[in-house]
Amino acid sequence: MNRRTLLGALAGTAVAVPVLSACSSGVTSLDGGGSAGGGNASSKNGVTIGTANFTENQVLGYLYAAALEAAGVKTKVRPNLGTREIVFPALKSGDIDLLPEYQGALLTYLEPKSKVSEEGAMQNALTLALPAGLQVLPYGTAEDSDTFAVTRETARKYGLTSLADLKKQNGRLTIGAAAEVKTRQVGVVGLKDVYGVEFKEFKSLDSDGPLVKGALKKGDVDVANLFTTDTDIKANDWVVLTDPLNLIPSQHIVPLIADRVADPTVRKALARLGNLLTTAQLTELNRQVDKDKKDPEDVANAYAKQHGLTK
Amino acid sequence: MFELFKNLGKWLTSGAQWAGSDGIAHRLTEHLQYSLIATLVAAAIGLPLGLLIGHTGRGAFLAINLASFGRALPTVGLVVLVFLASGLSMWPVYIALVALAVPSIVTNTYAGMTAVDPDIKDAARGQGMRGHQVLFQVELPLALPLIMTGLRLALIQVVATATIAAYVSFGGLGRYVFDGLAQRDLVQVLGGAVLVAVVAIVLDLGLATLQRFLFRHRTA
Repeated sequence: MNRRTLLGALAGTAVAVPVLSACSSGVTSLDGGGSAGGGNASSKNGVTIGTANFTENQVLGYLYAAALEAAGVKTKVRPNLGTREIVFPALKSGDIDLLPEYQGALLTYLEPKSKVSEEGAMQNALTLALPAGLQVLPYGTAEDSDTFAVTRETARKYGLTSLADLKKQNGRLTIGAAAEVKTRQVGVVGLKDVYGVEFKEFKSLDSDGPLVKGALKKGDVDVANLFTTDTDIKANDWVVLTDPLNLIPSQHIVPLIADRVADPTVRKALARLGNLLTTAQLTELNRQVDKDKKDPEDVANAYAKQHGLTK
Repeated sequence: MFELFKNLGKWLTSGAQWAGSDGIAHRLTEHLQYSLIATLVAAAIGLPLGLLIGHTGRGAFLAINLASFGRALPTVGLVVLVFLASGLSMWPVYIALVALAVPSIVTNTYAGMTAVDPDIKDAARGQGMRGHQVLFQVELPLALPLIMTGLRLALIQVVATATIAAYVSFGGLGRYVFDGLAQRDLVQVLGGAVLVAVVAIVLDLGLATLQRFLFRHRTA
C-alpha cells in the first residue's frame, strides 16, 4: 500500500466514525414548523428518509426504507445530508419526513441541560421537547451509546468490570477521549460526580477514531471513550465497563418522524424493525460498510431479506 | 459580535487565564518550544542540503522535489500516520512540523546560492580559493539574505501549524482552539487563534529587524 492510499484509507475511517451520537448543539429555542398536526396522517404520497453523515445512520436510513417498502409504502432515501444541525431543520421544514435518531443525542440537542438517562423517561422528555409537527416513535432494541472501555489486560490487572471499579485506582489511570469529554457530564465530570473517579491524566484525542483506539491498543491510555457499535471493541477483545448508576444516557435508536406521514402502516413497519434489530447486528452491518466497503443500501436490503422483512 | 470581542478581551487579560498548567503563559512556552525545536531540526537538515546542491549544482532536481513532497503532505494526515506507527509521543508532531519546514529552507538556500554571480565565484577560484573557501567565504555570505528569508518563512509556517500538537493530546496554543471547538467555547477558540497570530507576527517582525540589522551595510 503506498502512502497516498494509506492516507486515503485513514481519511475514510475518520469520516465514517459515528460522530453524531457525541454531538450536541447550542440550539435551544425551536418554534413549531408549519406542518399539519395529527389526525390526518398519511404515507400515501411516500416517505422521504434523511440520514446524517456517518455510516451507521445511513445503514439505518436504508433499513427504514426496506421496512417501509415491505409494508407497501413508497420511500425515497436522501443519504449523507450532514450533521444534526442540518438534518433536523430539514425535517422541520418538510424536506424530509423521517430520520433515524438516537434518544440521548437528540434530547441533548433539544434540551442541552437535560440529565434524564433512563430510556423510558427519555422517551417522555423527547416527546415534551419536540416542536409541534414532529414526534418520536417507540425506540428500538439497538443502541449506540458512549462507553468507557479498557483492554483485557488492564481489566485483569486492576480487576475492572464496571465504572465503579475505577475508583479503586484513583490517580493511577489515564483516560483518552475527545476534548469535549473533559468538560461533559457523560465524561470526566460525571465520572467524578457519580462514581467518584479521578484520573491521573486526561489525554485529549479523537471521538472513537484512529487516535483514541491506537492509544488504547498501545497502552498510552488505560481507559478510552468509545461507542457501543464500534466493531473494533470486539475485534480487539476490549472490555466495556458497565454503568450500574446510569451515568450514560440511553441512546436507543428511535425514529424521528413528521406527524403528517406517521400513519399506522408506517408505525407498525418501523416498530417491527425496531424490535428485530439488535446492537450486535447493527455493529455487524456497520462493519460490512466500513471494513468490507460494501454499499449501505445493499447491506440494509440483505439484512431485511435475511430476516424476513421483505420477500 | 461586540459581546464576543468584549469576552475575548476579558479572556486574554484575566490573570487566572495566564496562570497554571492550562494557563496562557505555560501554553505559550510549549508552543514556542515545539516551534523552535522543529525549525532548528529542519534547519539542520535543510541548510546543509541547500548549500550542498547550490554549491555543486548537482542533485538539485531531486532534492527540491523531495523537499517539496514534504510541503504537499497533508500535515494532519502525516501526524496520524506517524502516530499509528509510534504511539502517543511527540514524534508525530515533530516529524510533521519538520517535514513542513524543510522545503522552504532548502529551496530558499538553493535559490540564494544560485543567485550568486558566477563571475564572482570564478574570480574567487582564480584567486586560488579552495571549494570550501568559496562556499563559506563568498557564496554563503552573498546568499545569506535569501537563506534568512527561508528560515523566517519556515518558522512562521511552523508556528501557525504547531497547533496540531493539541490534536494528539499535547499542549501549545492549539489546546485552546481544539478544546474550545469541542466544548463550543467560541471565546477560547478565538483567544487561541489570536495568540497564534500574534506570536507569528511578533516572531516575523523580530526576525525581519534582525535581518535588516545584519545586512544594514548592503544594498539590495
